[in-house]
Amino acid sequence: MLEVQNVTKRYDGRAVVNRVSFSVQPGEIFALLGPNGAGKTTLIRMITDIIRPDRGTIRVNGAPNAGPRRPNIAYLPEERGLYKRARVVDAIALYGELKGMSAAAARAAALALLRRVELEEWALKQVQALSKGMQQKVQFCTALIGGPQIIILDEPFTGLDPVNTQLLEEMLDERRRQGTTVLLSTHQISKVEELCDRALMINHGHMVLYGTVRDIRRSYSEDAVVVRCAADLSQAPGVARVQQVDGQQRVYFGEGGSAQRLMAWLGERDVEVESFARDAMPLEDIFVKVVREGIGLDRGESAREPAGAAATAGAPA
Amino acid sequence: MRAAWHNVRVMARRDFLATVRRKAYIFTALGIPAYFGFMMFLTAAPQVNERLRALKSLTAVGVVDSSGLFAQAERTIRTEIGDENPFDSKRTPRRLTTTVVFYGTADEALAALRAKNVAQVLVIPPDYLETGRLQRYARSSSLFSSAERSPLRQWLSRSLLAPYASADRVERAVRPTQRLEDFALNPRTDRFEVKDDAREVADFLVPFGLAMLLATGIIIGGQYLLQGLAEERESRILESLLCAVTPDELLWGKLIGLGAAGLLLVGFWTAMGTGLAGPILALVHPSPLLVVSAGLYFLLGYLFYASILTGVGSVAGSVREAIQISGIFTFLNFVPFILLMTILAQPNGTVAVTLSMIPFTAATTMMLRMVSPSSAVPAWQLGLSLAILAGCAWLVLKGSARVFRTGLLLYGKRPNLPEIVRWIRSA
Repeated sequence: MLEVQNVTKRYDGRAVVNRVSFSVQPGEIFALLGPNGAGKTTLIRMITDIIRPDRGTIRVNGAPNAGPRRPNIAYLPEERGLYKRARVVDAIALYGELKGMSAAAARAAALALLRRVELEEWALKQVQALSKGMQQKVQFCTALIGGPQIIILDEPFTGLDPVNTQLLEEMLDERRRQGTTVLLSTHQISKVEELCDRALMINHGHMVLYGTVRDIRRSYSEDAVVVRCAADLSQAPGVARVQQVDGQQRVYFGEGGSAQRLMAWLGERDVEVESFARDAMPLEDIFVKVVREGIGLDRGESAREPAGAAATAGAPA
Repeated sequence: MRAAWHNVRVMARRDFLATVRRKAYIFTALGIPAYFGFMMFLTAAPQVNERLRALKSLTAVGVVDSSGLFAQAERTIRTEIGDENPFDSKRTPRRLTTTVVFYGTADEALAALRAKNVAQVLVIPPDYLETGRLQRYARSSSLFSSAERSPLRQWLSRSLLAPYASADRVERAVRPTQRLEDFALNPRTDRFEVKDDAREVADFLVPFGLAMLLATGIIIGGQYLLQGLAEERESRILESLLCAVTPDELLWGKLIGLGAAGLLLVGFWTAMGTGLAGPILALVHPSPLLVVSAGLYFLLGYLFYASILTGVGSVAGSVREAIQISGIFTFLNFVPFILLMTILAQPNGTVAVTLSMIPFTAATTMMLRMVSPSSAVPAWQLGLSLAILAGCAWLVLKGSARVFRTGLLLYGKRPNLPEIVRWIRSA
């Protein structure tokens, strides 16, 4: 389990990361979101002990992330790089050895990973002979080798075709099921909605969103539902107004109105309902709204508390 | 500096193998000796050949003797050649014979020269004995034509003395130091030792060669480190690498792995040089102290330079910029070669001793001094020089490690001097 408590990092007197706290459970895929320059990379570098925080603590399974017994954390940075002249298998095995494996075990593990990403026949070629997408898969293997407790992935799907994207997602899911903690930083918000259980968004170093993806979406949605049916829902009790959207009706509730009451009204009339869902703002729209409107920044280190969220942003546990 | 030995070893092995497997490394290992050998051959061979050619072409000399001093002179000149290579153990001199043809007038002699009947014409005026004036004519003149004067000089001397002395005396007067054996006191052994031509050449070449090997090895190891570091920064590999190793482990791995690659290169060149220059090295008996000192100076010199270049590589914006900055430090390492003659002439002089105490020049200067035949480096100077170099290497290593740790992940931004000083103080 990864626990980040009240972490602050300052450069030239400016807080790049300001009192950020969150935790990620084993077997969880956790999203780290934020606009460019928000402080995500600095936060990741502190988690991986590349740089040290000025304040706060970072612990992995209860132990500090820094020091002579560093936890096994793998990091796939957005600015990726491999030893270009190294053989593919050696480039991966190096990371295995650095994580404590013997040379032979690291080589065997590297070959197994190459088999898994369908690059086995490239094992003895130089890295520079591979295409960009292939190199990305090799880099992904360097993150997975050695059984890391935590995998931090920064834009792992950029430049990959749908087939390889799916392959990597499957491999991530395998790791998740084995209990590995995955921290995913990406601007592909659809991937966050698809893969992640919870998310943290930071802006200008401050936590501005933190909770389950579902709760975050709900918290930014108005009190409305989207229904696909033949009935005219403006006649239902408690409905303030109805908006037609792509053959569906978006129903806004007024005084005394609620989703339950509307469902009961539909049931009483035996109306055939094709779909009925609470209207939730897409995460991408929330991202844009939060950044553009500077939501959460006015509260200093604390963030907006999503309704029913599993955790409160900025509040140390 | 805390570093897990396992990770240091893994990084050292990777950097060593990655370096020695490069085509550029193999090219350097074979190419540099080949280049120097070729350049020496290109410079020396024409000189020797031209000298021999000039002597061989001297088959006949025309003489116009207006002084009457040479009427009874011999009509043949016998010249021994074969001393050109002092390391030729066989020393089998070849003899050339030149015929002397007398002419009545200069016009006749010059006509014979034009007709290629003689190779040169020597005109001896009537007042030669008083003034020593002579005229020598040739069809062409080259840079090395002075080689042809030696047979003529000996013929003139023999001919002038022949009427007044025995053949032996004449021979000795002409070549008074032909079999001279030089002895000089070796301050290290306190014994007088023979100083022949071969020894004199060895006395210059061995210190020069050893110091050059040491300086080149130190710089090449440092350059590999600088280049590797700058390439890693440019290829953005450090970010993921630093997740698995600490900056100290990475730095030590590089220092050891690339230092070993440099040492291997020096070892290879030494072995190659020993094979090729066996006769020269056979004249020098390296003492255990010299061997140990050379090893220590290589290690400390490499550590000192590599630490500086690590700092340079950590803050430079690109490989090109890093190499440009490192040029300044590379130059300092070779300063003793600019002052080579001063150091070899006075190995215990002020210049040599001062340079031995400056970390930038200590390794090279001390090698020159220790191998120089006329020097016995006092033990305190050797100890002090090593201590200063070790102390400075340690300080620079600590400072560079701090710059390395902070500067590693600065992409596209070159810090200014105050920033670097702040890193060193605060890290």
